[in-house]
Amino acid sequence: MNTSEFNALTADMDFTDTTVLIIDDYQEMRSIFREILRSCGADVKKISMAASGSEAISLIKKTQFDIVLCDLDLGSGKNGQQVLEEAKHLSLVGSSCLWIMISAEKSPEAVTGAAEYQPDAYLLKPVTEMNLRLRLAKIWGKKKAFAEIHQAMKQLDYSKAMNLCDQRLTSDKANATDLLRTKCDLLLITGEYDRAKAVLEKILAERDLPWAKAAVAKILLKKNDFEAAKILLEETAETNPAFLEAHDLLAHTLQAMGDLEAANNVLERAVKLSPNSVLRQKNLGAVAMKIGKLENAERAFRKSVSLGEDSVLKTADAYFGLAKVCSVNKKPDEAIKVLGQLNKNFATDEMRLKVLAVEGMIYHQSDNAEKTKQIAAEISQLIDQDAIHPDSEGSLEIARLLMVTDDKDKAIKLLQREIKNNPENAALLQDVAEIFDQAGMGEEGSKLIETLRQEAMLIMNRGVLLVSKGQYEEAVNAMRDAYAAMPANMRVLLNLAYVIITYIQKKGPTAELIQEARSSLLAANELSPGEPRFIRLMASLNEFSASA
Amino acid sequence: MTRTSDMKENSVGSIPSVHNMTNFLVSSVHDMKNSVSMLIGGLEKALASAEATQLSTHAELMQMNHEAKRINNNLIQLLTLYKLGQKIYPFDLQSICLDEFLHVMVAQYRELLRFRAINLEVRVDHGLYWYFDEDLISGVIGNALNNAMRYTRDRIHIIAEENEGKLVLRIEDNGNGYSSQILQESDDCARGVDFQGGSTGLGFYFSAMVARMHHNQGCLGELKLENCGSLSGACFVLRLP
Repeated sequence: MNTSEFNALTADMDFTDTTVLIIDDYQEMRSIFREILRSCGADVKKISMAASGSEAISLIKKTQFDIVLCDLDLGSGKNGQQVLEEAKHLSLVGSSCLWIMISAEKSPEAVTGAAEYQPDAYLLKPVTEMNLRLRLAKIWGKKKAFAEIHQAMKQLDYSKAMNLCDQRLTSDKANATDLLRTKCDLLLITGEYDRAKAVLEKILAERDLPWAKAAVAKILLKKNDFEAAKILLEETAETNPAFLEAHDLLAHTLQAMGDLEAANNVLERAVKLSPNSVLRQKNLGAVAMKIGKLENAERAFRKSVSLGEDSVLKTADAYFGLAKVCSVNKKPDEAIKVLGQLNKNFATDEMRLKVLAVEGMIYHQSDNAEKTKQIAAEISQLIDQDAIHPDSEGSLEIARLLMVTDDKDKAIKLLQREIKNNPENAALLQDVAEIFDQAGMGEEGSKLIETLRQEAMLIMNRGVLLVSKGQYEEAVNAMRDAYAAMPANMRVLLNLAYVIITYIQKKGPTAELIQEARSSLLAANELSPGEPRFIRLMASLNEFSASA
Repeated sequence: MTRTSDMKENSVGSIPSVHNMTNFLVSSVHDMKNSVSMLIGGLEKALASAEATQLSTHAELMQMNHEAKRINNNLIQLLTLYKLGQKIYPFDLQSICLDEFLHVMVAQYRELLRFRAINLEVRVDHGLYWYFDEDLISGVIGNALNNAMRYTRDRIHIIAEENEGKLVLRIEDNGNGYSSQILQESDDCARGVDFQGGSTGLGFYFSAMVARMHHNQGCLGELKLENCGSLSGACFVLRLP
């Protein structure tokens, strides 16, 4: 490359009509960035500046910015990552916006990992005109290379996205790694694990890439080969100690294997590396609480809650965790206060019901029998009205409370429903077993779980069995019955859609059948978003809609 | 940007413990780095103005900018070494186009090279890509270039090529070459920082650490100083698996 080619790299970038937002808490830094952009050719009138995250968000709500330069550390309030998360989560910035995160030093989050919201680039200070120009040119090229692929992904047309990746891979050397990585992601999304594994093994034969090893581990986890996943992730985390994704996956694996002690240690290390993740702190809190490290659990939940205050990614679970651990740590007043904050932040009827159940348990633990009874009665009444349907976690909380207030029949009914709806969710079944255990009904509970689980599995698969015998109409009817009995069972919902689609393939489509399959699929996706089977079935359903 | 309060950790009457001392040093380095960033921003702005070359102090400004960047690089390297020691450095392996990477590196020195009348040539295969941590390797190349600019007569070569499955990066100059003492010491990569001598050896220590951070399928990166380059001066060789 000679000098003129080198200049050509950045020459086609025209800044005259570009809207830019500069976010930095230091006035001097904001002026420096503005100067740099001005010498790049940007119109000063089109440059906006914000001194804090909240100021930035209100500007982003008003203007569609082409470029955002954002300091990662903004002093108090939201940090740069939280501003990015909010802007993307609320779709305030589109995919054409170039977002550059600026930091004094490289952060672990900058290592291409699995974070849901990522900037287009990280730039280290001091930022000069030349490195900003070059970085913008590079991102620009990458955006163009991936525009069609991301468009196809957005429309859930994964096979088209995959074809586009393959096409580009034949000529685009500059983006080869990212294209391969995207291709592997696509294969994982659509559940083509063997193909994904083949691609990854080819990559790994040449180069030890931590993300590729993490992807292989994900496939092993899908196939329930926990031991192999654990070995691979331990090795990856050891040789790449700052690669967060390996730590998070390893903790998840160890949890699934029941080794909570080890999972706790892995998460402790990961939060030391990157303390500002709402989710990771919450996970740490939950694991620490289960192994009785109550002080650590309280610290982690507290951190998750406080990080969440400035974040769109805040979770109700962190508040529940903090309330529960406060209660166990003999701080019932604070626990109740945390629940009050929770109600304010997550205002739905289902959430309020769950909060009420946890509140009841807190009063129970602090020996306030009167309050406990009062709340239990209120909940019991709400259940009888059958107007609010809490999620699985919520039902379990209610059952827990009703067990201690001697409303065992109602509690067992709730638990039965959860077992039937989630016969393949080992973690949930274990929680159910624990509730029975604490109520002194351990043996009875285990028997009930096993019977209901087997029953549910049989009903779930009846439709598929009938399809294989060619009894299509009977299959649809069988799955409709199953749906009536287990309306929130993911596999029932997917199987109902599957038998309807098969029926349509044989006997032709009707608008009603297509609609029935679609709503069944959407309900399944609500329960567990992004299941490969959902994606495949939705794709075949969309073919009918297109041809009908 | 983090606001660090120096007073808090260095409260009067109590000498910080070793652990606090480390935190104290690290946060001070951060703070210094922020100041240097501002300094560089100001100098770049002054040098970019149309009348800069007319100033009687132009040469001094150029030198100041160069030194400010050197300080910044050294501070970054100190922080990086600290993080490597703590196993918290976010090592980021990326496929990098060598042609682009080296030209971007060199462009940062363009003005200074012209000013010092040094002819610098980059020789690299057009389609050469390699996996490495861009920030770390640009620190290493920056160290080598700074050194070469200091000791060369008037020419520097940067050569990138693939050899026996490894990436070989050479920075050569036509100066007098390394002294036999430096050559001998450099063979022992694990040599510590020598506070007695004129140079702390920070640059070399950093570069050797970075070389070894790069590993692939059992092979480690390595660093070598030689006196046998194509310009018959000093030759800095980095091999990455």
